[in-house]
Amino acid sequence: MASAVRISAQAIRPARLAALTQLRCQLTETSYNPQSLRTGAKYLRARLRGPSMVGYYPDGFDIAQIVRRYPELEMVDEDEEERLVDVMDRKKRGKGAPKKAKTKSDSRRLGKKR
Amino acid sequence: MPNARVLRDIKARHGVRANEIARRAYLYVARNETLSPQVRHHAQLQLNTFERYTRPTTVKNRCIESGRGRGVMSEFGLCRFQFRLKALRGELPGVSKASW
Repeated sequence: MASAVRISAQAIRPARLAALTQLRCQLTETSYNPQSLRTGAKYLRARLRGPSMVGYYPDGFDIAQIVRRYPELEMVDEDEEERLVDVMDRKKRGKGAPKKAKTKSDSRRLGKKR
Repeated sequence: MPNARVLRDIKARHGVRANEIARRAYLYVARNETLSPQVRHHAQLQLNTFERYTRPTTVKNRCIESGRGRGVMSEFGLCRFQFRLKALRGELPGVSKASW
């Protein structure tokens, strides 16, 4: 009995089978793609990853940022003030950063011995 | 202040979010075999014009405490050493030192 069913299935023309599949796709509202071509639909279907990516690092408490954002509060970033005082001290002792070279010949790199 | 690599990673994350929809649209066209090869090729060329930090693959989950890029446990977002320190301090709920 089973073999009889198989023979009859083979006897159906491919065009008829294709039409059946097409009809089935219409009914189930899926796209009919007999050659299994890549449609790129997965790039549209996938969820957007950007929004969750942005929130990975927790927001730290940054005083410098707050001071910059609200100048009317007149807050003082003590660490920054201390750093500036240190820089001034170093400059007074002649240990500050060297002057920027105006021309190429001023560059200290040229005088460097290798 | 996070280190430079973390800042770069944050930049990449924002870049990905800002360009994701446009990139997806181009990807859809470029990978769609039902469209003509010329159109797909143009879409691929457009994809190549996006700058480096708009690609999701440039984003790396680094340690949220120390910024270390390797040995990061994704469940906690911490590298192995920071994980140990926090666990021993009892700051990670449900994590305790094993002893048997």
